Amino acid sequence: MWHGEGFRLERLPVGTRIVYGPEALDPLADPDRAIRHALENPLGDSQPLRTLLFPGMRLTIAFDDISLPLPPMRPPDSRQRVIETVLDLAAEAGVDDVVLIAALALHRRMTDPELRHALGDRVFEAFAPHGLLLQHDAEDSSNLVHLGLTDQGEDVEINRRAAESDLLVYVNINLVPMDGGHKSVATGLASYRSLKHHHNVRSMLNSRSFMDIHRSELHHSNWRMGRLIAESGVKIFQIETTLNTNTFPDQLAFLQKREWEWSLRDRASFLATSSALERTPIGISRKIFHSVRAPHEMTSVQAGAVEAVHEVTLANIYRQQLVEVSGQADVLTMGLPYIGPYNVNSTMNPILVACLGLGYFFNLYRGKPLVREGGVLIMSHPTQWEFNPVHHPSYIDFFEQVLAETTDMFEIEAKYEESYATDPWYVHLYRTSYAYHGVHPLYMWYWCAHALQHLGRVIVVGGDRAAVRRMGFSPASTLADALELAEDVVGRDPTITHLHVPSLLFAEVT
Amino acid sequence: MKALQFERNVSRFAASRVASVLVGSGKGVRVGPLELVELEELEMPGPNWVRVRPRLAGVCGSDLSTLDGRSSRYFDHIVSFPFVPGHEVVGDVEGGTLDGRRAVVEPVLGCQARGIEPECPACAAGRKGSCERIAFGHLRPGLQTGYCRDTGGGWSTGLVAHDSQLHAVPDDFSDEAAVMVEPAACAVHAAFASDITGGERVMVLGSGTLGLCVIAAMRALCLPGALVAVAKHPNQRKLAHDLGADQVVKPGEHKRAARRLSGSLALESGDGSIERLTGGVDLIVDCVGTSASLEQCLEVVRPGGRIVLVGMPGLVRLDLAPLWQREIELRGAYAYGSEDRPEGPRSTFQLAFELVREARLERLVSARYPLERYEDAIAHAAAAGRRGAVKIVFDMRKGGSGPDAPNATAGRADTAGTTKEAM
Amino acid sequence: MTRRVRGAASLGRDGLHFVAEKPTRPGGLVAPLPKRKLGIDYDTAWARRYPVRLARAVVLDDITRPVARLVLSPRVIGLEHLDPVKGPMILAANHASHLDTGLLLSSLPAGLRHHTIVAAAADYFFDRHWKAAFWSFGLGAIPMERSKVNRRSADLAASLINDGWSLIIFPEGGRTTDGWGREFKGGASYLAKRCGVPVIPVHIRGTRAVLAKSSSRFRPGSTEIRLGDALIALEHEDARKFAARIERAVAALADEAESDWWSARRRAAAGTTPPFRGPQVSAWRREWALPDSARKDQRAPHERKRQPWSRDD
Repeated sequence: MWHGEGFRLERLPVGTRIVYGPEALDPLADPDRAIRHALENPLGDSQPLRTLLFPGMRLTIAFDDISLPLPPMRPPDSRQRVIETVLDLAAEAGVDDVVLIAALALHRRMTDPELRHALGDRVFEAFAPHGLLLQHDAEDSSNLVHLGLTDQGEDVEINRRAAESDLLVYVNINLVPMDGGHKSVATGLASYRSLKHHHNVRSMLNSRSFMDIHRSELHHSNWRMGRLIAESGVKIFQIETTLNTNTFPDQLAFLQKREWEWSLRDRASFLATSSALERTPIGISRKIFHSVRAPHEMTSVQAGAVEAVHEVTLANIYRQQLVEVSGQADVLTMGLPYIGPYNVNSTMNPILVACLGLGYFFNLYRGKPLVREGGVLIMSHPTQWEFNPVHHPSYIDFFEQVLAETTDMFEIEAKYEESYATDPWYVHLYRTSYAYHGVHPLYMWYWCAHALQHLGRVIVVGGDRAAVRRMGFSPASTLADALELAEDVVGRDPTITHLHVPSLLFAEVT
Repeated sequence: MKALQFERNVSRFAASRVASVLVGSGKGVRVGPLELVELEELEMPGPNWVRVRPRLAGVCGSDLSTLDGRSSRYFDHIVSFPFVPGHEVVGDVEGGTLDGRRAVVEPVLGCQARGIEPECPACAAGRKGSCERIAFGHLRPGLQTGYCRDTGGGWSTGLVAHDSQLHAVPDDFSDEAAVMVEPAACAVHAAFASDITGGERVMVLGSGTLGLCVIAAMRALCLPGALVAVAKHPNQRKLAHDLGADQVVKPGEHKRAARRLSGSLALESGDGSIERLTGGVDLIVDCVGTSASLEQCLEVVRPGGRIVLVGMPGLVRLDLAPLWQREIELRGAYAYGSEDRPEGPRSTFQLAFELVREARLERLVSARYPLERYEDAIAHAAAAGRRGAVKIVFDMRKGGSGPDAPNATAGRADTAGTTKEAM
Repeated sequence: MTRRVRGAASLGRDGLHFVAEKPTRPGGLVAPLPKRKLGIDYDTAWARRYPVRLARAVVLDDITRPVARLVLSPRVIGLEHLDPVKGPMILAANHASHLDTGLLLSSLPAGLRHHTIVAAAADYFFDRHWKAAFWSFGLGAIPMERSKVNRRSADLAASLINDGWSLIIFPEGGRTTDGWGREFKGGASYLAKRCGVPVIPVHIRGTRAVLAKSSSRFRPGSTEIRLGDALIALEHEDARKFAARIERAVAALADEAESDWWSARRRAAAGTTPPFRGPQVSAWRREWALPDSARKDQRAPHERKRQPWSRDD
């Protein structure tokens, strides 16, 4: 079981059902050829990219930011491959005015090494020195354009350069079913004014789950916005890629295998690694983990019209990640790793721990959650009371000030969202430093809305007691203690499902 | 009578100073110049003086500084050795208008007490704390009862006080409530010295007795917009909340809290931690009084803001460049006297009585000690925050001569040393 | 009792102050500025005297050459083009990195390299005394203006060439910023015509990837030096036209470096050699079209430095 920057080997009670991800699919044998093929044979109502490029046009290429993929890929990154191919076509067609934009939404800016990693040196050197490699600035009102309101009255305001280009190419990596589709542009290149229409408590409560785009209010809103963007005349050529779940390099291969499959080498490897990690100072083990480059590779690439492309992308994701599970359990257990979308090369603070467990992992279901209503969720993570002040400055204040007073989401939204979203210092740090936007910690909290409404209790094993209590959860030292605590809520001898998520999976619960 | 007497003995001073540095504040008392002695009853320095038998006498931060040898050389001319410390006193009066009743002593020795006629302008206006004839008159030098050879002090079984110094204790006041009146008066005076007009963002640095009383005073008597307390220890934090702070933060987080409160921008150091704010809070009350605390004040107060220094400082090294560049006002607040209220001038002490009653400040008295156990008492007072206590008092009452367990309402029991002290 | 006037000897400790402090000038008098001969005026003759030349030769052979071999792994092609040249010559090379001069000097045969001077930008290499001395000694540099050749430095260069010194010069006038070449200025061609000496075109490949302009990143790599056929100015050819011809020759060498000799020759004959100055399009497309060797970082992704504990390939 993951336990932050380390592992625990836990004994689960007899009768526990463990949900593993499917075996990793084979990647594409020749990804570059597949990319060229996709660009030449687009899906939906779209022409081949080659024909959409002409001299004198304004071309903008937007791409997913550092929150994807997790962990970061081995070079060459999918984005690098795709963008190099697109630029080859652009060079051939004689397009001079090209700008690249990292579609950050309200995430932090990417550092130069991170951009180099995602795009490759060739692309970086061609664009960065000339100021043509931009990072979306949602607080730069001069670079935002309001395209109108959807039929539900939602503001659609996106990056001006992207909107006013002759062609906007979006390069995506679809790690989980939440990503991609209209969400790429409608969220990735949007402003706070736009985002608050679907990044709010009500939308989250009505997204069951937010990984399932057909039942997610978050996505319904994004789809409305995406369609409005298209109707406003913004021409989008969407390129989406998927990855297999070969997430860990050789030394950590045991994480991907089912425990009963562990060979002698795996067992020894596990023991050596976890005991070494226990003795390593947290700073170093954090560094080690964040330097892991995953060997996952592209399994599919499709391009063309947004909706048509996304349908095929989702099919590919399901092909890799879908697991059928029958029945819900009383208790759901999971180990949380050291990394989530919002702490790449950074510290996982308690709020992000909650978001990873109660937001992302809890919502990896289609149909019904893995745990029944009123059931218990047990997560394992050290939950250190530690924050990275450069990346997450507003998180610190949110944890210290807001959560100390209340954990109720509606109250937080009503009382604090405005001041966190407009605080000039947070805006300054978001725009000039490498900080997440001031309102981001609140969003992380809203992400847990569905889970918190659904569950009877949340227990954190091995976490910092004060931090866990601050968030309104129950601390436990061991899994056994946690299960005992759980019995107060679900009764004796509960049914337990364990979500084995080193490799991602998507549960179809019937 | 018995008394704890403070001798002027240079070598013992030095020893105490060294000990306090090496072993910790308050620990120097064992080798320092404080001793329990039998003394002759004091003579009355003049007419209208009465004898007071202390019931409870508090240990104050300024007493601790004096005992540690850390107080400023400034006081050399306005104390007279040997003296009996203790200026937070409630006792039984023998003689005079309040004969037979309990009274709280207002320790400041102004013109009246010194028999100086005519009174200086400050004393005439009731602001005895600002007396301009301090160290003169028929008393030996001593700015307060508790620093003067002729008056004695609270840490004894008998002292003498001038009629003008005594305030009758209402019958419904417990002794503990009465002993809190003097610190509350300091807090009230500080609250008014802050000159809050309404809606200001205020930060209180330091949540010992004085800090907590200041919080209570500000909440009751002024109209701050938001009040943030900086408190190190958990029981202090809880009390700060109870007494009216909107937000309580730990010492390392005051900058962040000030930034959030004022919506200011900040200058950061390389690792992302805030160095100083470009804006800041309107008012900050320093109840600690060290170089470090004043520096912290300068980091978070806005340009044109005010720092009120309430805690007794020693010799402080301070970079005044921010004070100058940001036009910050640094104002001292000492003792008490008379406050200008809409209804007319009122004695600070009288306002303090009201505050103690309203905020139930008697719960801040955490432990009582007999004079014989003065070493433990001082040590406890010096480590009060850490040990979950706030105010430590000497108990001279009959039957009250055993040490008590810490007052339950003042916070949790000690973590370390509980068994020893609580018996 | 008369007092003796204090003499200098009795100044004592004050005497030290007296000596150490400069006298204050009476107001109204303006001190003339000291004349320092730097930049284009720096006199490099001392560096060509025999003992200094000897020392330089030792440094070049025993330090610069081995280091260049180690760090730049150079491959030299076309040395045979030097054989038919009797007497001094002008070597005109493309310029991408500070390493070019040292590398080129090290790659020349012994007789030639000990008798070669280098034209270096006066404003950069000769602006401070110690720099001027260093480069004059280490490389045998002479100061030269970047664009328009100064009369004095032209005369100096010409007289040196006539004395038998060969000259290394970078006709672009400076290092490339984006990896593509810049227009060849007329300095080399002018001197060649004036002194009647041939010009050997030289292409240096790979130094930009080791140390680029405006970058402090230093990555050892491999380099190639290609020398081409000697070029003699024609009667009716003015300096500008000759300079253009030299540029084309270097471009042909560049073409050869990226492809192969035969294709390069054919393209040169047909006049379709890729232009030295690169495609005249937007900045990103110029970067996009750069050959690998001219990129700042030419290592392939899989050669990237890996952590010691990673075992993956």
